[in-house]
Amino acid sequence: MASSDAGTSHEAWGSRIGLILAMAGNAVGLGNFLRFPRQAAANGGGSFMITYFIALILLGIPLMWIEWGIGRNGGRYRKGHIPGMFAAIWKHPAAKYVGAVGLVVPLVVMIYYTYIESWTAAFAWFSLTKDYWGITTQDGMVGYLQSFQAIAPEGAKIYHHTYTPYAFFVATLFVNIYVLSKGISAGIEKLAKIGMPILFLFAIILAGVVLFLPAQPGIGATPWQGLEFIYKPDYSRLGQPSVWLASAGQIFFTLSVGMCTLTAYASYLSKKDDITLNGLATAATNETAEVVLGGTIAIPAAVVFFGVSGAMAIAQSGSFNLGFATMPVVFQQLPFGNLLGVAWFGLLFFAGITSSVAMLTPITAFFREEFGFKRETVSWSLGVLCLVFGLMHVHWLQHGVLDEWDYWAGTFGLVVVAVLEVIVFMWIFTPAKAWESMHQGADIRIPAVFKFIMTYVTPIYLLFILGWWGWVDALPILLNEKSAGGGAFNPVNGPFITLSRAIIVLFFVVAVVLIKMAWTRNKYDDRKGFVEVDHSGEAA
Amino acid sequence: MSTSAIIFMAGSWTFVLGLTFWSFHRLLKDKEHFDPDGIGPKAPPKKGETEQ
Repeated sequence: MASSDAGTSHEAWGSRIGLILAMAGNAVGLGNFLRFPRQAAANGGGSFMITYFIALILLGIPLMWIEWGIGRNGGRYRKGHIPGMFAAIWKHPAAKYVGAVGLVVPLVVMIYYTYIESWTAAFAWFSLTKDYWGITTQDGMVGYLQSFQAIAPEGAKIYHHTYTPYAFFVATLFVNIYVLSKGISAGIEKLAKIGMPILFLFAIILAGVVLFLPAQPGIGATPWQGLEFIYKPDYSRLGQPSVWLASAGQIFFTLSVGMCTLTAYASYLSKKDDITLNGLATAATNETAEVVLGGTIAIPAAVVFFGVSGAMAIAQSGSFNLGFATMPVVFQQLPFGNLLGVAWFGLLFFAGITSSVAMLTPITAFFREEFGFKRETVSWSLGVLCLVFGLMHVHWLQHGVLDEWDYWAGTFGLVVVAVLEVIVFMWIFTPAKAWESMHQGADIRIPAVFKFIMTYVTPIYLLFILGWWGWVDALPILLNEKSAGGGAFNPVNGPFITLSRAIIVLFFVVAVVLIKMAWTRNKYDDRKGFVEVDHSGEAA
Repeated sequence: MSTSAIIFMAGSWTFVLGLTFWSFHRLLKDKEHFDPDGIGPKAPPKKGETEQ
């Protein structure tokens, strides 16, 4: 059932395959095709892959099941947001406030992520119209990208109107909000059913084209050397903590754990619905998109046209250079290159939008469930909020505000949320209840060893990551000793950095106040918890 | 490509594709839930218990 007539009406997924595609669409994002190959190449290839799969088993898949479990348990009490989900498990007045981070993190990430997503829409259009055709060097395309972003150095050639990045951002945000306003079944599920097959089709076409690229005159490298670049075993690096952290971080980001989107989607399931097999299928689909397809496109293509050392240098220079500067150069050398460009940026766009739409789902659920607002009202109001703060990123990109938000919400914040989720679900709820809850309606039995992993290994692994990143990155960034985007802190950016941090703090304060208002309005008793409702919306 | 790189790649691809095909095979196969009423099993089911 999907209705927008009343804020309290309950929604549901239309089909199981739609649910899996939406969950996988939420997980498959830009990171699968841009971040993964770069991380693999920069962290020892084969060494990275070994630690990557260990992190998948000890961190990724357990967190996937935990998030599905927290979400579906919250859905029993019609709570699609983390404050309510935590309060349903941990009957303590603090639980709802601890969950405030689960409203702020996805909202903050959604705002800047939609801006990056708009770059992919723009470059799909520029590919179709051959706007960048003739710029055949890596440096030239970096200049073109900077021109689009309106951050080109003084005196550099300008290819775009000043309003171009704003126009693409507004259009991309509009599409996101429109899909969100249509609801779970008619909006998000429909988008996933259309977007995910297109995404996989484009990815398979591109991977096929790249794998059969001939060696280029003067370069002599083949795509297989690109794959060797990723998969070459280098056991000496297994002893480096940085490789373990990089792979754990990649698993974390690629599966969208800590983003509170999986929990929100799972809250629309009934207790008779399986989550063990669904959760595993979601993780597996994401891994196929990342390991098989993501690793086969950008780096091998870069190796063919720039050689192994050139591709290594590009990978070190960042994911965006690889995706937005290198690939357009490659497409210009190929037959039907503009259409391949559309496929590449279209693939990134669909990967992005199926993720960004999910990020507004928790806060939408909060306003609908706790204040009774209509879905459309909430969606378009959030759209205005995202527009205002998103324009800040478009306008001040060169001042590091996007990097700042990406670090505090999209990197550090995700790990904080995940740590809280594991503690609340596995420790406070107790391992026995969590295990039983996950197996309600289950189609497969989770191997018993995962009960131990989820209770002890996953939280310790997460706390180690949090502690390490806190010491090595978070503290120096907070003290303005280094930049969130890497490199030295630029004092010119100081006021912008302070403002961007103040906005995140403001969001958090507003979230806490709203939670307080919601609990007062609905007369919730923190010690008694919520009344369970069945899937039709009636009190059980 | 070196033999070791091919082995790494083949192993990685086999793992993720195997997991994907197995999970979707189970999803699309109309198997009986071991917990059809959704009230939760009394004890964690044993291996093979869900097989028909």
